[in-house]
Amino acid sequence: MSVDPDVIRKCMWPVCLMGLFVTGILSLDCNLLNVHLRRVTWHNLSLLSRMSKSFPIECLRESKAFELPQEILSDTQPLTRDIKEAFYEMSRQAFHIFIQDTFKSTWEEKHLRQVQIGLDQQLQYLEQCLEEEEEENEDMREMAEDEWTQSGAPVPQLSNLELRRYFNRIDRFLKDKKYSHCAWEIVRVEIRRCFYFFHKFTALLRRK
Amino acid sequence: MLLSQNVSAVGPLNLYPMVHISLMFGISYVLPDFSDESCTLKMTLRNLQSILSWELKNHSIVPTHYTLWYTIMSKQEDMKLVVDCTNITRSFCDLTDVWVNMTEMYIPKVVGYRGNAALVSCMGSFFLTTDTLPLDPPEFEIVGFTDHISVNVKFQSVAPKILNEEELQFYLALIEEQSGGTVKKHKPQINGNITENFSYVIDKLIPKTNYCVSVYFEPKDPRKINRSPLKCTVFQPGWESESSESATIGGIITLFLIAAVIISTVMMLKRIGYICLRNDFPKVLNFYKLSVLVFPELPRLEEVATVEVIHINRKKKVWNYNYDDESDSDNEAAPRISAGGYTTHGLTGRLCPASVSSATLEDCSDPAAEEGDLPEPEADAEALTAPGPRPWQSECTSRGYQGRGNLLQDPFSEEDSSSTEGSGDRIVFNVDLNSVCVRALEDNDDSEVTPMLPSRPEETVVLEDPDETESNLLVASGEGTQLPFPGPSAECPWPEDAPSDKSDTSESDVDMRDGYVMR
Repeated sequence: MSVDPDVIRKCMWPVCLMGLFVTGILSLDCNLLNVHLRRVTWHNLSLLSRMSKSFPIECLRESKAFELPQEILSDTQPLTRDIKEAFYEMSRQAFHIFIQDTFKSTWEEKHLRQVQIGLDQQLQYLEQCLEEEEEENEDMREMAEDEWTQSGAPVPQLSNLELRRYFNRIDRFLKDKKYSHCAWEIVRVEIRRCFYFFHKFTALLRRK
Repeated sequence: MLLSQNVSAVGPLNLYPMVHISLMFGISYVLPDFSDESCTLKMTLRNLQSILSWELKNHSIVPTHYTLWYTIMSKQEDMKLVVDCTNITRSFCDLTDVWVNMTEMYIPKVVGYRGNAALVSCMGSFFLTTDTLPLDPPEFEIVGFTDHISVNVKFQSVAPKILNEEELQFYLALIEEQSGGTVKKHKPQINGNITENFSYVIDKLIPKTNYCVSVYFEPKDPRKINRSPLKCTVFQPGWESESSESATIGGIITLFLIAAVIISTVMMLKRIGYICLRNDFPKVLNFYKLSVLVFPELPRLEEVATVEVIHINRKKKVWNYNYDDESDSDNEAAPRISAGGYTTHGLTGRLCPASVSSATLEDCSDPAAEEGDLPEPEADAEALTAPGPRPWQSECTSRGYQGRGNLLQDPFSEEDSSSTEGSGDRIVFNVDLNSVCVRALEDNDDSEVTPMLPSRPEETVVLEDPDETESNLLVASGEGTQLPFPGPSAECPWPEDAPSDKSDTSESDVDMRDGYVMR
């Protein structure tokens, strides 16, 4: 199919305009990352609350302390990129847990799908913005890491390691309890708590 | 032994009440541990305070006092007693200072006693962020002025610990006004903590209209909104003109902005070629003129002159380089090809003075063949207009003749010389007299009768066909008083320098030199 060069020439201008607008919109999206994360995180938190009417009191005996690493929000003033990476690690781990097909009839299917979609959305947001930030500030990041190591402060990747350990404990709990109804309810409550913890974390992004 | 005698004495009928009582006693202990449906627990934020309230579903059971315990999900801990809510008669408990961690999930347990016996027990789970009822709206007052309405909101001085700095930003006081059924939301900006009174002004109101205001906190879950009762006032008149004028001005400005946006958009689209595409067609391809479609313009007719060629058979004249005045009466007209590439044709005939387009020499005798004199022009209906008494008075001017046509290069050289005088072979063709130079034959005998097309005087004339015995006379006549002549681009050299005996022909009215047409 041959295209008239006049048509191409006429369409070039609006296509270029559209491309600039799309680029501008995408760039604005990462500038409002904290708003998106705050909204999406709260939405996932609400979904987890609605998945179950109330916590079964009989499952209270099987509860376990998973030791959420709250020290990542301590007064060490983490960098913006570290906060984003922590968010990304948390979203990835939570998505891995809820993507397992072992819920059976514990919760309604639609609620579970909504949670999975919400977590996937959160991952996409963070992947895009982290890639852009890495391209732009690669040199600055290296300088920042050198400063961290020289001052003796903990390496920023420690928060991600703690998060991985945290979610590993949750995953192991599910396997030990053989994915029972009470185990899933306990995990649901725990991850909801983690979401709220990170929801407060977005305030740090806003301040920065 | 005694027991067996008692049982046998009582009999089976007496055994049933005992079994029933024992069963009831056992169930009453079971219920407090696992029954969560005997009462309904609610968590409310009232005046920025966390209040846990409960309500028994079975109203027949009325405990005298209650005791509250709680634990958390994140750790394996025993139930903790709430000191302020031990052996209370009320059915609610203030946990503002007890439940302070919003990330925790609290498990409360309420036990209702009558005396020392626990009648009812119920448990629940609360995640304060999502399982809390919305804040009760604060107290407020509205004051109506002549040009605005002022809303004064009174917040509690004591802020609950659960509402830290982060949480306060979640809640905003929204004020709605209802005027004729329309609801308008206002979102006042609250700076700092919600501990002080807050005043908000609502202006730009319609006079003589009843306005009602409601205040509430907006929770994260839009389904949970606790609105305050409406408080209404009538907006006083007096500022009607101002509001209407401002509304008019605002409307005009809005229309102007909309028009400017539309115009700029249209101009931009036109400039980039999206609309009003320009057709760069040549004008000749513009078929959109109705007049052209309906009345197609015919091409301009060329003004042509009809030329009739009369064949005249002549004897071949041998050029003997005799410059005698004895000129052959025969008007030889042989085509000569000048060095400039022009083919000359001798023409004879006369201009017929009739004002007709075509010229014919039918009626004109052929003087050149016999007499050598120019024939007198005769009127002919078809002859071109040839005003002027002298037929061969021609001027090589550019104004006179506008005829166009094709000059035959090889007119009739191949024809036999069988044409006779006066009649015979006649060929009529159109001649573009602008491209030819026509020499007029002169009346004088001494002049060279042979009309020749002007050529370079110094050039050698090459006969086109010297062996021809006939000559073709091309008579061209046209409108106007002048004989045809070539256009300005054609070379019509004026044989001024050429020695000629025709210099005596100055008697003609026109400037004729050697019989050549003067431009």
